[in-house]
Amino acid sequence: MDNILEVIGVSKNYTGHKALDDVSINIARGTVYGLLGPNGAGKTTLIRIINHITAPDSGTVMFDGHTLTAADVSQIGYLPEERGLYKKMKVGEQAIFFARLKGLSKADATTQLKRWFEKFGISDWWDKKVEELSKGMAQKVQFIVTVLHRPKLLIFDEPFSGFDPINANLLKQEILQLRDEGSTIIFSTHNMGSVEEICSDITLINKGQNILTGNVDELRHRFSDGRCSLTFTGDPRQLMEQLKPMASEFFLDEPKGDEQRLELKLAPGAMLRDVIAAANESTDLIEVGRVMASMNDIFIKTVKQNENND
Amino acid sequence: MANNIMLVIRREFLERVKKKSFIITTILMPVLMLAMMAAPALIMMVSGSEERDITVIDETGMIGSRLQSDKETHFNNLAATPLDSALADTDVSGVLYIPAGTMDGKATPRLYTNGSSSMSLESNVTSQINDIIEDERLKQYDIENLDKILEEVHSDVKLMSIRNDREEGEAQSASATVSYLIGIILTFLLYMCLLLYGQMVMTSIIEEKNNRVLEIVISSVKPTHLMLGKICGIGLVAVTQILIWGVLIAAMSAFVLPALIPDAALSEMAALNAGTLDASSASMDMEVLQAMTLMSNVGYILQLFGLLILFLIGGFLLYAAIYAAIGSAVDNIQDASQLQSFVIFPIIIGIIFGMTAAGDASSPAALWTSFIPFTSPMVMMARVPSGIPMWEVWVSLAILYASFLAMVWIAAKIYRVGIFMYGKKPTFKDLIRWARYK
Repeated sequence: MDNILEVIGVSKNYTGHKALDDVSINIARGTVYGLLGPNGAGKTTLIRIINHITAPDSGTVMFDGHTLTAADVSQIGYLPEERGLYKKMKVGEQAIFFARLKGLSKADATTQLKRWFEKFGISDWWDKKVEELSKGMAQKVQFIVTVLHRPKLLIFDEPFSGFDPINANLLKQEILQLRDEGSTIIFSTHNMGSVEEICSDITLINKGQNILTGNVDELRHRFSDGRCSLTFTGDPRQLMEQLKPMASEFFLDEPKGDEQRLELKLAPGAMLRDVIAAANESTDLIEVGRVMASMNDIFIKTVKQNENND
Repeated sequence: MANNIMLVIRREFLERVKKKSFIITTILMPVLMLAMMAAPALIMMVSGSEERDITVIDETGMIGSRLQSDKETHFNNLAATPLDSALADTDVSGVLYIPAGTMDGKATPRLYTNGSSSMSLESNVTSQINDIIEDERLKQYDIENLDKILEEVHSDVKLMSIRNDREEGEAQSASATVSYLIGIILTFLLYMCLLLYGQMVMTSIIEEKNNRVLEIVISSVKPTHLMLGKICGIGLVAVTQILIWGVLIAAMSAFVLPALIPDAALSEMAALNAGTLDASSASMDMEVLQAMTLMSNVGYILQLFGLLILFLIGGFLLYAAIYAAIGSAVDNIQDASQLQSFVIFPIIIGIIFGMTAAGDASSPAALWTSFIPFTSPMVMMARVPSGIPMWEVWVSLAILYASFLAMVWIAAKIYRVGIFMYGKKPTFKDLIRWARYK
């Protein structure tokens, strides 16, 4: 598989604690990769190592097939969670400054910035000072600055925080488009809903260790634990009675008109088709579905399990 | 990546130079300094018009009548009035009581004042009484033609000091007073620049950290490069300011000053430079003449500013590095105050030694502190106007530049750890520990 980034056995110690302990991650080119974990898990340290801001104590980082060097930084765009701009500088001037730091020429930076500013409808901010902008406005500028040099790898840390739903959606579309144009995106967030929406793979870090890695859909199936749902009209109590030998847990939703929805967990060895047959007998079955675990559940469950093991 | 340092330098430099406050201070400062020099003369011209009436009660009968009134002070001789009744009159500015034994030095004259006295009044009264008493005592020797003899005896020597160890053609005449003044001015200029621009480095780093723009910048620039760029950018601002002042002053001395100085003084200055001036015939005070000669010597001024800039760069980089390390370690200005004493303390020691060195450039204390890098910029600039051997200047500069390289290296190590530290207020110990991280 073609990986843009491979983190191999990276460890980093600060006095007194291990920020990262033998972490390995492979990120395939052209994907949106979720980097998850509770506060203080070591995500920021890992991102800083990928950004060549700090060096790992041991382990290596491979970028685009070679060991990561300082020169690769111009191929990476990073939008940190805590971010700001120079308050006294004009927006356009500042954007050009950051673009040039990433290796763009002044002329290139200017033309591309003008295009982005138009796209976001913020052209008239060009000569404004940053201190005149609202937080959301400044964040748009920061986003543009991050992606302007068309990096191969983009790292977004909580990109949607502080945005209203309309702008958040606009940003999401832009991120997905960047992916479609060939950029790889590392997406770090606590918002599990957005992980389900845009990430294809994730890694969950806790206490400096990689405790879960995988494809989002696969994980959600795996963690669904044989849960399925039946939507039907009829008597739910009778159905539950009937299904008892085949399933262990039942969750009955509030009925919507005639329709009832029952979630259940298959007992070990039980087959879904037997459940369907039984349900078909006693009710009018409308829909059978597999229940996917939410990323939220997966996050909480995995982290708790990890804490208990310690 | 060296390109990125240049970009950071450019940003830091332009951001400050384009500010209105920079342009205003750069232009106004020389004007202000001139005004400060001219102020005492102006104040003297404006003030001093207050008139005082002094009632004199003279029991000797010899002094009171000979006290000379002038514009500011009127002496009214009331020989027969008793002191008590004279004192009862509080409308006069004061009462001068000269008891009988004054002539023999057995009693002391007393000045009773209603309201405040003044130094000029007191010295006026004292010197007049002394002159009268001396006069009277001389007369008792009964010398013929005394006045004529006194006039012939009177001497008013003006000292002209000339540097013996200077090459021919250099400004040879420099009185200690003039070099003292220039030394003090240069020392203060350096002190101000080090403190002001050093703190600018610190506040700018704190601001960057505080407002988290740092997080964005360091994703493109190495922390060490960012620190270097910032220090150099702000240093350039300081150098620019001094350069502008240097050019302004040199231009004034080349074009403005010759036009203002009277022709007589001009020819005397030329004579002074050539070493042919007859001091006794000079129309002006020697020191004023020497000061003017120096001020109109463009080469000398350029040399001074050249050295000033060399010491400014070295001293600034040394102190800015420390300021940068401190700025990186704290979250806000308040937390910085304690650590700042590590910088302010040596700077103040520097200015103190600088001021003494301006007075006596060859004292051992001045010599040694002008080699110690923390004090050398200020002390050396105080000594330079007195004309010290050039090798001392170069050695001092070499030590200074070597130590700033070492300091920048240490500061960079602290900086790249410090900028990621939020929350806890760091101690000096923490800084040392960070510097030791590999």
